[in-house]
Amino acid sequence: MGESVKTIYTLGIDIGSSSSKAVILRDGSDVVSQAVIQVGTGTSGPARVLEKVFEGQKIGMDDIAYTVATGYGRFSVKEADKQISEISCHAKGIYHKHPRARTIIDIGGQDAKAIRLNDNGNIAQFVMNDKCAAGTGRFLDVMSRVLEIPLPEMGEVHFHATEWAFVSSTCTVFAESEVISLLSQGVSRENIVAGVHQSVASKACSLVYRVGMTEDIVMCGGVARNKGAVDAIEKELGKHVIVVDSPQLTGALGAAIFAYEATVKPE
Amino acid sequence: MSTIKELIAQFREVADNPKKAMDDYKKETGKGAVGIMPVYCPEEIVHAAGYLPMGMWGAQKKNISKARSFLPPFACSVMQSVMELQLDGVYDELDAVIFSVPCDTLKCMSQKWKGKAPQIVFTHPQNRKMAMSAANVFAREEYAILKQKLEDILDVRISVKALKNSIAVYNENRAACREFSDLVAENPGLISLKDRHAVIKARWFMEKSRHTAMLKELNDLIRSADKVPFSGKRVVVSGILLEPDEVLDIFEEFGFAIVADDLAQETRNFRQDVPEDADPLMALAKAWTAFDGCSLATDADKPKGDILINAVKKYNADAVIVCMMKFCDPEEFDYPILLQQFAAAGVKNLQIEIDQETTSFEQVRTRLQTFSEVL
Ligand code: SF4
Repeated sequence: MGESVKTIYTLGIDIGSSSSKAVILRDGSDVVSQAVIQVGTGTSGPARVLEKVFEGQKIGMDDIAYTVATGYGRFSVKEADKQISEISCHAKGIYHKHPRARTIIDIGGQDAKAIRLNDNGNIAQFVMNDKCAAGTGRFLDVMSRVLEIPLPEMGEVHFHATEWAFVSSTCTVFAESEVISLLSQGVSRENIVAGVHQSVASKACSLVYRVGMTEDIVMCGGVARNKGAVDAIEKELGKHVIVVDSPQLTGALGAAIFAYEATVKPE
Repeated sequence: MSTIKELIAQFREVADNPKKAMDDYKKETGKGAVGIMPVYCPEEIVHAAGYLPMGMWGAQKKNISKARSFLPPFACSVMQSVMELQLDGVYDELDAVIFSVPCDTLKCMSQKWKGKAPQIVFTHPQNRKMAMSAANVFAREEYAILKQKLEDILDVRISVKALKNSIAVYNENRAACREFSDLVAENPGLISLKDRHAVIKARWFMEKSRHTAMLKELNDLIRSADKVPFSGKRVVVSGILLEPDEVLDIFEEFGFAIVADDLAQETRNFRQDVPEDADPLMALAKAWTAFDGCSLATDADKPKGDILINAVKKYNADAVIVCMMKFCDPEEFDYPILLQQFAAAGVKNLQIEIDQETTSFEQVRTRLQTFSEVL
């Protein structure tokens, strides 16, 4: 009694295939700082995101009680005390932000996942894309290059479509040549963009159908920032899809929460 | 007396070097070897001829290039690998190759055999359950033709007595394999998953009575070994095969032990014995019609789910992991049915994708790690 309760800072780092994210958490719930660098594993991204997340903060790495790394590059983060899969971390982060979430759609750089949560926020089932990058962020990258529309503008362009073009969803390479042939047929780029988003949506929703769809449906991962892709997913599912704020950061947030749990109830 | 480690090293030597195993056999016996394409060949007929049946299961981490000229890109990974090995001449020292054709890919592969060895193709009847006696007669006839062709190619006569003896040799091997799998399940920390796989895989490249003798010795040692503490998760795996070794390492990295398998390359070959019958070819035919639990053996009742769910109960397993061979359509078609059966029985399950060619395992790692966190 009488001792002041010590503040616990924890760090979550999410090193994806195309971006690096970090979140510092105070006492398991308050976000002190967060950072995103748009390059991922194997690049300068992981080091830079660590620098950036501490920028302007009074605390440093030494003040961090526990660090959890997640994402594709989680095993290369030497600062980490533990690695946890990005599926568990996204589920944790989303449930923290949105406790009514029961179905999560997470589309990142090269993976798409659908996760079903039970009422306690635990993962009941999850599935990932197979075989091909179709339906992932990488697919949108390729299409943005072919269409000469910067990635951040794709979402806006989508809403100017008059009729959605058809782009298949089986294979990135085939879809790329389909888009090229649509362009050469004079189909408008707006309509093609909507078709590309529809293609991403049908792939992502096939995962949702497999895990079973219970509301609230929440979307995270880099592609969730693309309003056009979200619109296509909503139309495909016929349901409202909630996009969490900072959708890229839910994995790092979940990692930081796991880190906090590890400090207060060590295994 | 050998130790567990020494015996396993011998099995691994065979599993990793099938060519050497074949050369040694030829040297010792003066006889040759016959290739056995997956899956479910009545190998006993080859054994009765005194030849070594050699499994043809592709290769781990083989670069596929030439095969692409002969197979569509969406042909299963194991057949891509087998085709590449054919074109590399790896199978040219075989005296014959036997093809069963229970899936479309195998049917098409059998029509573009590129090896030098003569090829024998036979058909498994798929009316196994609904017209069993007709299916038995059909399968027996197919096996009789197979036997005749083999006798002609190898210039040997296969007697009824030799065939009966081979069936007994194989049944004894099946029993030893079942016992091995069960003993490993009882002491899951003792034998690594790669070693379990190597011991079972070696049976594809060894004369079966030799495999049985070594395996019985190993089983005795495992039975009397101390229990190794194990705090991980016990799983049943299902699929065509579970390779390359890196995938098994990831299973171990996240604390999974395989307590039973339902793999076409492993347990599906020894789950059931060949029954007694005065006519050995009919006995082999009946084994096919009685066989259960593989997508390649049609059964409208779809008993595979129950086989797996029962295995979960029997071996006190935490979950089933379905190891889906990339682009294996028969297994993919059955998967949605399996999922419903798992859900109805409350059996936790995961699917991973198997690609013999792959060298990047991040997706498998993420799936297995998440699953270990969820269980
Ligand atoms: S059963 Fe599946 S893995 Fe085997 S040859 Fe046919 S498609 Fe390929």
